[in-house]
Amino acid sequence: MRRQKDTGDGAERELVSSELIERCKSGDEEAWREIVEATHRDVYTLCLRILGNPADAQEATQDVFLKVWRNLSSFRGDSMFSTWLYRVASNTAISKHRKRKRQRLNEAGVDDEVLAQVPASGSVESAAGAKIEVERLEEALALLPDGLREAVVLRDVYGLNIAEISAEQKISETAAKVRVHRGRKRLKEIMFPEDSGTETGER
Amino acid sequence: MRCEEVREVLPAHVKDGSDDLTVRRHLARCPECKAELARYESLMGGLRTLQMRSVDVPAGLFDQLLAIPERSSRLDSARHHVARHRKVYVGGGIAAVAIAGAAGAALWRSKARRPLTA
Repeated sequence: MRRQKDTGDGAERELVSSELIERCKSGDEEAWREIVEATHRDVYTLCLRILGNPADAQEATQDVFLKVWRNLSSFRGDSMFSTWLYRVASNTAISKHRKRKRQRLNEAGVDDEVLAQVPASGSVESAAGAKIEVERLEEALALLPDGLREAVVLRDVYGLNIAEISAEQKISETAAKVRVHRGRKRLKEIMFPEDSGTETGER
Repeated sequence: MRCEEVREVLPAHVKDGSDDLTVRRHLARCPECKAELARYESLMGGLRTLQMRSVDVPAGLFDQLLAIPERSSRLDSARHHVARHRKVYVGGGIAAVAIAGAAGAALWRSKARRPLTA
């Protein structure tokens, strides 16, 4: 998970200082503004990637910051603020899925209708070392079923391990592993549809 | 080892590698499966770059977030108000039901006492 900001020189630093957090705890509104300013883009981005649509992501982001504001006094600084913040964000976004129980694609697969919405892959080379267009990758992620998208985003974008994903999704580690596996496979099929036919050779 | 079997394990192999010698041996000899692995590697590379890429936030979101301390205190005072006045509200509700019941009964009795004119 993105826990620090890359400073550009290879070094990384915490996005929000402990001094800023202390000021915020004592009710300093300017400190709250600075915290929001430094983190809201990343939180919204995480929510959008997990939830797959802007309206839900906007609502989830507000819920996240409301929780942060209310629980800031209990943040002791044992862990990094950004780690704690992103944990709150992924929890909030994932439980939003459960609550709304929106009818979406089930994990059995991406159906043909949805696959047909994916832009043609002409601009993406399918050879080794092919460059992936990030905009298209974001679109493809949004097409994955909820559980698979959550798992792939947490594992492959934010670098959580399987145990952490199983805790976030409240599923077994085996189920989390299966979701990551299926999610990568679906994503590959969406991004490289012309290559998804399997050769049947034996070597 | 068949290509289908190798392709089944590639989504896991791409990140963590595989200790399975037969998979590695197959990949060394099969250009199609090697190309498939390269696609997964591109995909993983693309996903990794997303971590450092933020999307544009909707207009108005920043202001909504700035207003959270105020919104939170409004919610809290509303909640305290409801908790403090719960007894009054419940009592008032019971009284309202009792009054409505009494009025209904009185109306029913007055109708029942009226002589039949048919």
